[in-house]
Amino acid sequence: MCCSSSIARDKATMGEPEAFDISAVKGMKFFDPHVHMTSRTTDDYQAMADAGVVALIEPAFWLGQPRTGLDSFRDYYSSLIGWERFRSSQFGIKHYCTIGLNSREANNENLAEQVMEILPLFIYKEGVVGIGEIGFDDQTAAEEKYYRLQLELAKEAGLPVQVHTPHRDKKKGTQRSMDIALEHGLDPYQVIIDHNNEETVKEVLDRGFWAAFTIYPFTKMGNERMVEIVKQYGAERIMVNSAADWGISDPLAVPKTAALMKMRGLSDQDIELVTYRNAITAFAQSGQIDEADFNAQADLTAKFEGNTILRGGQQPRPDKSSIIIS
Amino acid sequence: MKAVKEIIWSVVKNNISLEAENWLEDFIQSSDQSAQLAKVFVMLPRKTGKLQVAVNNDQQKALDTVDFGYIRNWTIDRLSRVCLLAGLDLDDKEVLFASINRLFLSAEVNEAVALYSALPFLAHPEIWVKRCAEGIRSNIGSVLEAIMENNPYPAANLDEAAWNQLVLKAFFTEKNIKNIVGLDERANLQLALTLVDYAKERWAAGREVNPQLWRLVAKFINAGIFEDLKTGLQHYDQTEQRAIALAVKESDYQPAKDYINTFPELKLALADGSLNWNSF
Repeated sequence: MCCSSSIARDKATMGEPEAFDISAVKGMKFFDPHVHMTSRTTDDYQAMADAGVVALIEPAFWLGQPRTGLDSFRDYYSSLIGWERFRSSQFGIKHYCTIGLNSREANNENLAEQVMEILPLFIYKEGVVGIGEIGFDDQTAAEEKYYRLQLELAKEAGLPVQVHTPHRDKKKGTQRSMDIALEHGLDPYQVIIDHNNEETVKEVLDRGFWAAFTIYPFTKMGNERMVEIVKQYGAERIMVNSAADWGISDPLAVPKTAALMKMRGLSDQDIELVTYRNAITAFAQSGQIDEADFNAQADLTAKFEGNTILRGGQQPRPDKSSIIIS
Repeated sequence: MKAVKEIIWSVVKNNISLEAENWLEDFIQSSDQSAQLAKVFVMLPRKTGKLQVAVNNDQQKALDTVDFGYIRNWTIDRLSRVCLLAGLDLDDKEVLFASINRLFLSAEVNEAVALYSALPFLAHPEIWVKRCAEGIRSNIGSVLEAIMENNPYPAANLDEAAWNQLVLKAFFTEKNIKNIVGLDERANLQLALTLVDYAKERWAAGREVNPQLWRLVAKFINAGIFEDLKTGLQHYDQTEQRAIALAVKESDYQPAKDYINTFPELKLALADGSLNWNSF
C-alpha cells in the first residue's frame, strides 16, 4: 500500500533510468503472488502477459479509504472471484485470490464483526488460495483480535495465510505477527510473511516461514537490494511480488527483478524459485493451484454474466502506436 | 475557546459576501440544525468561494495570541466549515455525534480536511478520539496534514498508541514534523524505540533519516539506543550526525556525551550552543 513520498528527491538519487530489456527473461514464466489488479488497467494486464506473467494472486485489502458498510465488503470479495478473475483470463493470466479482513479496517470493530460472519462464505470458493492479506497496520488491540480470529479460520480451513507486515514499526510488528501465528499452532510453512526487508528477513527464514518481498518504488524494496538479499540468503522460501495497486507501483516488478537477477549473475534456478516456483509451492498448499491451468489460451470471446471486456467489434490488441482509436 | 470562535467568525465575515453571511446566519438561527447540517456543510463552498482567507493585522495578532495564527493559510471554505461546526448549537451529545459522524462517512477530501480541522473546536472532545485515530490511517496527504500539523486536538486527546502512530506516520509521509502540536511534550520511550528501529531500517535501505527524529529520542537515550546511534554517527551525513549530537546533548546519558566529544567537528558544532531543532 502506498504512502505519499517525496518522489522528486528519490528520483534525484536514482540517476539515469536503465531500460527494461525484456529479452533477458524471454521465455521465462512468472507468478506474481501479490498484486491488486482491481486498481490496474487492461494495459497492465497486457504488459504483464507480454512479460511472461502467467498467474497471479490478488489479496483482499482495503480500497484506499475505509468501507462504511458490509455490502461493500461482500461486493468486493465477489468481484475478486468473479469479474476480476474473468478480466484476467482475457489476457491469458490465471487469477487467484486470498480473502480476508485487512488490518486497517479491523479497527472498525462494529463492521469487522459483520465481515467475520461472511468470510466463511468466500474462503472455500474455487481459486481462493489463502486467508489474506491480514496482520498488523497500527498494531492496535482490534487488529490483533481479528488477526487471531482469522488465523483460526485459516487453520480450520487448512489454508495458507498471507501476512501483511506493517510499514511502521516493521521489525517488532513482524516478530509479533510470527509469534501469534505460532501461538495459534500454525505451521510456519503455511504462513507467508510479506513485505520483508533487510531488517526482518533473517528471523523470518530462521523461524521457518516463507519470506515474501515487495518490489515497490520509493517506499518498500528496490530490486537491486533484492538481488543482494538472494545472494546473501539463497532462494529457499523467498519470493518476490509487486503489490502493485493504485499507488505509484509497477505490475512488471517480478519480471523486471528476474531480468536484473539474470544480469547480476544469479542462477536460472534461483531466479525461477523466487519469481515463480516458491510462490506456487507455498500457496498450492490450498489445493487450489494447478499449473496445467496456466497455459490456457485467452478466450477473448468468453463472457462473464453477459459482459465482455471487448466492446462492439474491438480488436483484442489495439495498436497503441496509432493515433486513430477505432 | 469562545474567544477563538469569535475571532474566526469575524475573519469569515470579512471574507464572504453579504449573501453568504445571511445564508450562514439563517443556519445559525435555525431551530433544526441537525436536519439542515449535512446540506449546508456540503454546499458551503458554492456560497463562500474557495479563496485563501485574508486576515487583517488585528485579527492576526488575536489569532497568534491563542495559537491559531496558522489559519491565515486556510481557504475560506475550510475556515467557514470549521466555524459552522464550532458554532453548532446541539447540546445532546448523541445528536451531535450522529450529525457530524454522518458528514465524516460521506466526506470528499476538502470536507474531510475541514472536519478534522474542526476537532479542537467541537464539544465533548472524548467522542472524537476513534475518529481521529481512523483519520491517521488515511493515505490522503491533505487529510493527514489537517490532523497532524497545527492541530491541538491529537496531543490533547489521543492515547499513547494512537499518538505514536500519528508521529510515526508523519515521518513516513514526510509531513512537517515541526508543525506537530505537542511533539516534545508527548515524547515517550516506546515511540523513541520505534523511531530508532525505523532509522535503522532506513539506513539498511541506504536512505537518509529526518533529523527531527532524534529530537524525540533524546530524552530516552540509554545503553541500547547508544549502540544504534554509533552506527548513525559513523556512516551517515553531516546533518544527521549533528542531529544525533544534539539529541545526545539533551540526554542524561554520559557515555554518549563522552563519545560525541571524540568527534571534533560535532564537539565544535555543539560548543557555542546555537544548534537547536529549528536548525534542521
